[in-house]
Amino acid sequence: MTSTLSAPVTRAEPTVAARTADASKVYGRGQTEVRALDGITVDFLAQRFTAIMGPSGSGKSTLLHCIAGLDTLTSGHAYIGEQDLSSLNDHQLTILRRDRVGFIFQAYNLVPTLTAIENVTLPLRLAGRSGDRAWIDSVITTMGLADRLQHRPSELSGGQQQRVAVARALATKPQIIFADEPTGNLDSRSSGEVLAFMRQAVDEMGQTIVMVTHDPRAAGFADRVIFLADGRVVDEMSDPTTDKVLERMKLFGE
Amino acid sequence: MFSTTLKSLLAHKFRMLATAMAVTLGVAFMAGTLVLTDTMRQTFDNLFADVYKGTDVVVRAHAAFEAPQGGGAQRGRVDAALIPRIRAVPGVSVAEGGIFGYARLVGKNGKALGNPTNGAPVLGTAWSDTPALNPFNLVQGSPPRTDNEVVIDKKSAGDGHLAVGDTTTVLVLGPPQRVRVVGIAKFGNADSPGGATTVIFTRAAAQRLVAEPGKFDTIDVVAAPGVSQTELARRIASVLPDGTEALTGKAITAESQSAIRKALSFFNTFLLIFAVIALLVGGFMMFNTFAITVAQRTRENGLLRALGASRRQILGSVLIEAFLVGLIASLVGIAAGVGVAIGLKNLLSAVGVEIPAQGVVVRPGTEVIALAMGIVVTMAAAVSPARKAAKVPPIAAMQLGMAGSTGYGSKQRVLVGSVVLAAGVGALLWGLFGDVSQPVRLVGAGALLVFFGVSILGRTVALPLSRLIGAPLPRLRGITGEIARENAMRNPKRTAASASALMIGVGLVGFITIFVSSAKASIDDSISSGFTGDIVLDTGGGVGGGVDPALAERVAKLPEVAAAAGLRQGVAQIGGSGTFLQAGDPATLFSIMRIDPRAGSVDDLDANSLAVYDQTARDKHWTIGSQVPAVFAKTGPRTLRVALIYSDNTQAGNYLLSRSGYEANFAGQFDSRVLIKKAPGVSTAAALAAVRTVSRDYPGVELLDKAQYTHNQTAPFDQLLALIYALLGLAIVIALLGIANTLALSITERTREVGLLRAVGMTRSQLRSAIRWESVIIALQGTVLGLVIGVFFGWSLVAAMHDQGITVFRIPLLSLLVVVLIAALAGMVAAVPPSRRAARLDVLRAVVSD
Repeated sequence: MTSTLSAPVTRAEPTVAARTADASKVYGRGQTEVRALDGITVDFLAQRFTAIMGPSGSGKSTLLHCIAGLDTLTSGHAYIGEQDLSSLNDHQLTILRRDRVGFIFQAYNLVPTLTAIENVTLPLRLAGRSGDRAWIDSVITTMGLADRLQHRPSELSGGQQQRVAVARALATKPQIIFADEPTGNLDSRSSGEVLAFMRQAVDEMGQTIVMVTHDPRAAGFADRVIFLADGRVVDEMSDPTTDKVLERMKLFGE
Repeated sequence: MFSTTLKSLLAHKFRMLATAMAVTLGVAFMAGTLVLTDTMRQTFDNLFADVYKGTDVVVRAHAAFEAPQGGGAQRGRVDAALIPRIRAVPGVSVAEGGIFGYARLVGKNGKALGNPTNGAPVLGTAWSDTPALNPFNLVQGSPPRTDNEVVIDKKSAGDGHLAVGDTTTVLVLGPPQRVRVVGIAKFGNADSPGGATTVIFTRAAAQRLVAEPGKFDTIDVVAAPGVSQTELARRIASVLPDGTEALTGKAITAESQSAIRKALSFFNTFLLIFAVIALLVGGFMMFNTFAITVAQRTRENGLLRALGASRRQILGSVLIEAFLVGLIASLVGIAAGVGVAIGLKNLLSAVGVEIPAQGVVVRPGTEVIALAMGIVVTMAAAVSPARKAAKVPPIAAMQLGMAGSTGYGSKQRVLVGSVVLAAGVGALLWGLFGDVSQPVRLVGAGALLVFFGVSILGRTVALPLSRLIGAPLPRLRGITGEIARENAMRNPKRTAASASALMIGVGLVGFITIFVSSAKASIDDSISSGFTGDIVLDTGGGVGGGVDPALAERVAKLPEVAAAAGLRQGVAQIGGSGTFLQAGDPATLFSIMRIDPRAGSVDDLDANSLAVYDQTARDKHWTIGSQVPAVFAKTGPRTLRVALIYSDNTQAGNYLLSRSGYEANFAGQFDSRVLIKKAPGVSTAAALAAVRTVSRDYPGVELLDKAQYTHNQTAPFDQLLALIYALLGLAIVIALLGIANTLALSITERTREVGLLRAVGMTRSQLRSAIRWESVIIALQGTVLGLVIGVFFGWSLVAAMHDQGITVFRIPLLSLLVVVLIAALAGMVAAVPPSRRAARLDVLRAVVSD
């Protein structure tokens, strides 16, 4: 398994696509205080596929939302590239998400009134740009969507819908893509397909993906897994496999 | 079950508030109208009771005939010689003559006061020194003692900036009179008798200037102590000649009160129509809200069914919710009604309709009517959604789908809608063109059915219409425009229901705009073709008022003038029905007013004959030489010979008398207008200047060229238009509330979608813009449907009124374009609250999976 994933190691010294420094997120106060993130410092390297794992309530989704500019930290910093997100207002964050970040959610990824191709180009059109046509074509071809472009989401299978979501995330050539349980609602065959496409996006298109998941099989597609518990990074693993991840999870008693 | 309903109601405060507001506004309008009319009725009742409290018997002539358009009984005057005879009746303490006639007061600025053509009358009357018989109370100064002294009412003193000691002019019979204001009086405790401008002369001067010498309109009697009104009236009646009658003070009070009630009931109905329209629009909004919320609660209702609630209980819970919303909204509406009554009074006064109303009269009956209407409309609107809710199967609790059907309407629906629409169009046209006893009701019902029919068909046309209206948006607004259009198209049922509410208001605005515009164009047309002169002296005196005929004679003598003819107006009964007529000197009038004689001869038109419009003559089966029965207030029954039949009635109307015929049969000789044709080779400016040298001796008479005259004739329509716009405004505001409410509810459904859009980079302003444009599409849809209906209504009424002189059908494109723009703008405004709420939505709430 390790040998098939050796390609990234041969690349040039990787830069940091996103990172956090002492990031904390606290909900409530006093008695009811919950520390969802408790001083997390972590780097996400460019052109890598990173998985974030942890039990429910470990803070993995909160971490993703805060680095992606969907939520704000109580203290500490989150960076996309060199940009400190805490210094941005809502409008600037929106523009940042639109132009430099891609998203894949667990469900409800697509606007139901727009066709597949319109969903793919949505962020570009929101920015008033047409984007790199050749790039978009190659993304669509890679995702196997060429014959589904004029369909509305309701006419697509769950797997196809998630592939449209991946294509949309890729369409703007974002600095980084965040995926939140992207296969949570899919059967195992469609899951495998979508994950393979994401892997392909990193390997062949040089994209950067950070994915939250609780599925060891999904984590097995990543270059690196970060384990969270109680809002802290408790472990990490390079070149994971499904078995290795399962093993590690047993250790944490999940 | 009841507590579940209550909790669900409290859980959706915003929804309830916005929905209830629609009903509240409608109920408030209705309650306000009722309060205002109750107040006016009470004011008049008190006024007449007060005015006649010292009068025991009134003697007057029998009614000769009823004037057209509810103008009331017309009667002649009684002989002054009756007074000594009445005084001799045992039990009579005082008997004296009362006088009413045309007298138009000129204000300090030289402009005549009052508006006798379209408003309250202008009256001249006599001062009575018998306190029991004098309805006026001096608030300043003293009674008139000489021929050139007058007392004026307090309202006119204010409007004309006249004070005790001022000298001014009064237009009366004969030359304008210079008079000195020696006193200012109230009528009972009102500033003026029902808004009328009143000039009070000495009895002798009044007889000479506003009535007839030796005649009185009434003889008012005070009884000696111990003699009852009934007994005295009986005694007096026994000495009266034929054609006169004696009424008790009680009877005349009741008669005056009931006449006013009749007049007020027209007014009441007029305002109530708009209140009902507002409630109806509120009902549409209510229906839409219930339909949406029932759909959103499908799972909740399924769960209740699964837990053992019966269909009947679910149905009941929705209806109870509707009842509570209706009850609360109506209660608030009734409370607001008092404020609305005051607002309506101010609105009417702003467009020139002065309402005498003192204090606020709130009757329990009024409250009950308004309350019941509010609750009934709300519950009626909830019936169909409630039935839909009751049909939810228990399994719906376990299913994911929500938000009900988004259907375009079944075949049956299209069929039902088409039938209703066809029935409406049929009823409307039948009412307008058919021979029906209650045309107004039929036309009203037809109009209502047309609105219902179109709104039933609404969801079927909503999709193509939204696509069409939104077509330019993607190009104009890019992806936000596209999203707006798609959102307006995604639930045609809902879009159609929101649009329907606006459609009603806009339909009526479009209709009235087209009708008024056509009426104005017709008048314009009629003046330019029927009036062949160049200048008009307009007194605004209306029927039975105006200026001394000497003015026309003096103008005719000017070298700059080729011809001048005074035009007199009056009411009479001709061929069995009360009607308006005009009169003038045949020798000059027909050189300035085109009538296109068809049969008979102008020269035959003498004191004992009349000229009739072609169509009228045909309807009545009259030909030249026919003997036509007529009744005049002054001369009673007469027979007139048809001497002339003419085919252009645009300026002449349906009946014309010769000047001699008018002089023979009418008491007051006034020219309501003087039509003038300038001499050949004289410029209009020169002719105007020449006429001015004469007309300036007649203050209050307006000197107008043809264009100004046309404008003067059409101006009242603009006033009417403004009033109706203002009254329809409420229905439109309610419809806009409906659009805002629908959008807010739709956005609640779309929370996750909104979050997704925001997550992938839609800015708040782009989101607001998308919602704004969606709202504009809905608003324009209602506007387009409304205007189509409005054009149809306008066309049918104009066509139906062709015989009444509305000969031109005109669609004022510019005005209608303004309506469209305002609707689009209003759609944007309606979208402000929901779009702000949407923009504030937490992005995370949307994207985090539950």
